[in-house]
Amino acid sequence: MAASEPSRYLARSLPRALVPSSRHQAFCWRRNVSDQASSRAPSAALSDLESTSLSTSLPDDVVKTFKPLERARARKTQLPRSRYQFRSPKYDRGPLHPHRPPPPSDPSSRVFVPGPFSLPRVEQTWQSTVASDILTLLYVHNPPGFKPPPKAPRLRTWDESSPYHKNRPLRGPRGGDVLRLLRKPITFNNIPKIERITLHSYVKKAATENSSWLHVAGMALQAISNVKVETFKSKTSVAQWHIAPGRDTVAVKAELRGENMQHFFGKLVDLVMPKLKDWQGVKGSSGDSSGNITFGLEPEEMALFPEIEVNYDMYPPKMIPGCHITIHTSAATDKDARLLLSAMGVPFYGKMVN
Amino acid sequence: MSLSTPLRRSAATTARVQTSTTFICSQCRHATLLRRPKRPYQFTQLITMTDGSTFTHRTSSPVPVYRSTRDTRNTLLWNPTSSKLKSVEDDEAGRLAAFRAKFGRSWDVNTVVEGEDAKTDQPAKSKEAAAAEAAAAEEEDDNLLDLISSFGQEEQQPGKKN
Repeated sequence: MAASEPSRYLARSLPRALVPSSRHQAFCWRRNVSDQASSRAPSAALSDLESTSLSTSLPDDVVKTFKPLERARARKTQLPRSRYQFRSPKYDRGPLHPHRPPPPSDPSSRVFVPGPFSLPRVEQTWQSTVASDILTLLYVHNPPGFKPPPKAPRLRTWDESSPYHKNRPLRGPRGGDVLRLLRKPITFNNIPKIERITLHSYVKKAATENSSWLHVAGMALQAISNVKVETFKSKTSVAQWHIAPGRDTVAVKAELRGENMQHFFGKLVDLVMPKLKDWQGVKGSSGDSSGNITFGLEPEEMALFPEIEVNYDMYPPKMIPGCHITIHTSAATDKDARLLLSAMGVPFYGKMVN
Repeated sequence: MSLSTPLRRSAATTARVQTSTTFICSQCRHATLLRRPKRPYQFTQLITMTDGSTFTHRTSSPVPVYRSTRDTRNTLLWNPTSSKLKSVEDDEAGRLAAFRAKFGRSWDVNTVVEGEDAKTDQPAKSKEAAAAEAAAAEEEDDNLLDLISSFGQEEQQPGKKN
């Protein structure tokens, strides 16, 4: 079978080569870049007009003195870096500019982030035990030939009771305007996983007093998360605290991904959570019903992180912020996210709300 | 109607011819500075848990070895079945038992189960258990309500022993 394939292709391609092309090439003076230069016979009129660089001959002395290897060997010192190393342009000047920066995945790019450099313990735990456990727990067996009953469409159509219903956009789901995430059956390739963790702390004193509160909060968040924080201005006005929207910078946020996230989650679960006083766990009703769980830490609980604990004196004790920790998982429902997190060691208590 | 249609068509065709060769590409004239991402320095730290297990992680703390005094290995919330971590009174000399024998135990009615559990740890376990069983047998005869209330506790006790 395999041996017969080349001969079959050959038989198919042979007549194609023998067929004369429909366009007569001698009368066609238009030249495309894709055409081979040799395929067209250069006419005398054209060769007068243009001389190709391929046909020009260099003088002999230039050819004889061109010895790049010997020149490189004879060089005493190393070339400056700019002669052999590509440097990405500092500015991105748009898609039409001739000097485009390389993509971020390129090591020569200015925005390249190397890594990962370690295999965090949390990641290993997930791969070795948690993933297979979740896959087993969420397995739903359907006998062969099973067809799930057809579901109603998520967006309802209008009953054509009124002539004004024509061309209207579809109606939202019953009992609310929110389209929930679709929960696909969990298989080997969509096992819930922690995608990113967001640390956020709202420092109201940054608006009422001075910005030092914000600096301390940013340093504390950076110390525990190893991520440079972003600052945010207030979106709402709080009259009691004299906070106006768009004027006062009141919040810092750190977004952890990849290795940073795994290390942070590991020390949060293994070291910080057990030290919390009278802590029952994360409340079962937390979550945004699409697989992201949030809980909070008080200022005195933030001091339990080993990074803050080790030089606690560096931070002004009153200025250590509390923070909200949002764990974004790839699960589509809170139930799956809670299953994942409890398998990773986060306790939950109370009534579980999905 | 019939007159107006060809006029419209011709207008549409002329408009299409004018815009057909436009090459759409969003060009931005400004230059965006490509900022180098800031990555704070990290140290490798060895964390020693309370049960002696260790693991390394990357952290901004410069201490090479971190010994935790309290972590998931010695906290009740993560070890709900561990009898060591439960706040059960240790009554090695038997003084609490002697106090209860003298003054009764009406003052700690709520901790009856735990008290019995502590007693089972003592060497005189068999006698106590036999007495408890005898008492339970009497109670079965006495009252059905007692039987129901003691059912859960009876079930809990072997779990704690194991």
